[in-house]
Amino acid sequence: MIKMIGAKTITSISNSGRFARFIWKSLVVSLQSCLKSQTYPLIWTQMNIIGVRSVPVIMITGAFVGMTLAIQTYDQLKSMGLEEHLGVLINVSVVSELGPVLAAVMLAGRIGGALTAELGTMNVTEQIDAVRSIGTDPIRYLVAPRVLACLLLTPALIIYADLLGILGGYFVSVTQKGINSQAYWTFSASAVELWDVIIGVIKGFFFGAAIASISCYKGFTCKEGAHGVGRACTEAFVASFISILAINLALAMIFKAIYNTFWPIKSLVE
Amino acid sequence: MKRDDEKSADQVNNSNGLIVLKNITKKFGPNIVLNNVSLTIEKGKTTVVIGPSGCGKTVLIKHLILLLRPNSGEIYFKNKRIDNLNEAKLNKIRTHYGFLFQGGALFDSLTVAENIMFPIRQHYKITNSKEVEELVKAKLAMVGLDGFQNHYPANLSGGQKKRVALARAIALNPEVILYDEPTTGLDPIRADVINELILKLQRELGITTVVVTHDMTSAYKIAERIVMLHNGKIIADGDADHIHNHPHPIVQQFIKGEVGEDDLAVLRMSGTISKAQFLPRDFEQ
Repeated sequence: MIKMIGAKTITSISNSGRFARFIWKSLVVSLQSCLKSQTYPLIWTQMNIIGVRSVPVIMITGAFVGMTLAIQTYDQLKSMGLEEHLGVLINVSVVSELGPVLAAVMLAGRIGGALTAELGTMNVTEQIDAVRSIGTDPIRYLVAPRVLACLLLTPALIIYADLLGILGGYFVSVTQKGINSQAYWTFSASAVELWDVIIGVIKGFFFGAAIASISCYKGFTCKEGAHGVGRACTEAFVASFISILAINLALAMIFKAIYNTFWPIKSLVE
Repeated sequence: MKRDDEKSADQVNNSNGLIVLKNITKKFGPNIVLNNVSLTIEKGKTTVVIGPSGCGKTVLIKHLILLLRPNSGEIYFKNKRIDNLNEAKLNKIRTHYGFLFQGGALFDSLTVAENIMFPIRQHYKITNSKEVEELVKAKLAMVGLDGFQNHYPANLSGGQKKRVALARAIALNPEVILYDEPTTGLDPIRADVINELILKLQRELGITTVVVTHDMTSAYKIAERIVMLHNGKIIADGDADHIHNHPHPIVQQFIKGEVGEDDLAVLRMSGTISKAQFLPRDFEQ
């Protein structure tokens, strides 16, 4: 029993160390790749796969988040006579929290799974060893373009999710619930600050880096066989999902502390 | 005549060796796959490593190019120790090698031409793409597959995949080519095509060749030297005649392809198989 616990502890520590080394190397090589024009075509290709092809699904996610928020909160605000403030609640939630988090979760499912499956298959069919045998660093050739594409495009995708979330909320509030359009936008504009939008976008950089590096790591360390690749994909999604939630909490605390240092707390319902 | 283990020890000190493995031990968990193995690969010669499945042949060949690092021991390339180099320095050394993987390991998202261009693009700044196309054409012609440039690996047969992988392996004009089970999974005719290609490359380009195989027909045809690995140790080392007449019972059993007494004992212990065992009850007559 003690032997088993000891062995599991050693395995966990060595896996954590391996993951930390992989992340560090990926980030260093990604930064170096930014300066090498040879890598740009690879980054461009990944941007197309990761970013451009994710736009529809991210927009749909954002729109549904906005619409659902409007439906869920309307009755409560109406009972207090504050239904014209509905836009405040929807837009602040979408822009700073729900938009970035749900867009990132959607990306973890769509991109993270695909990255892990692709690199995992390359690993078990010795294609990653083939890259190494040719004298090329597989982190530079395979990981860095994916990390950079994810890092740069997740914030852009979050802006799309925010935009559609705002429009989705507006659509339900104004056309379904009969809220005055001008009042909706006026209250929203007074409550949503540039700071809220920036927070959401900054979160996107962290989420993108986490999704790409976790997924690539799981692909690189995937065990042999169809079962191994499938398991790696599941682990990649679960790990990415938990990381997104943890990073979101950490960043929310940090940004809140920064905001409170420079600005007084502002009531959203005045 | 020297014993095989004495011969291996002498060869470690032989400075003519292009690649030298010195007392290499490799473990995976509690399993010792290579146990204090010493081997010298001589320049311009074809060395074939034989042995039963799971004896550590692929692990050995991956150590020659440092795709795996040993737990202990030293590896030299051109008299320079390479097992202690970091990956960046090793990548430069690896450009002197070509590696043919067991399954080909072609990049399935790239066409045949792009696969062969890959090493060239990685190591040279391409200014004239026409020149690279000519080079790809020449490499494909060497393996008899000119005209397949725009095919994807998924559309090729097993033998064609290995030939394309070989064209990729020689793209950088390497000094050494390592072949991991080049004839496995191919019919006898396709296997012989690969053997002829290995001989052709060795003869025309003078490339140092290391082949890992358990196909004795192939080994006898291409080898100038045969090394037999068993339970992580070299048990025989010499030319084809030496191996053919080797007194070691395991060597004789392997080259003749005979089942051993131990394996037979296991089969006897598993009991008698009656025909009824294979019939589902519902269909019994």
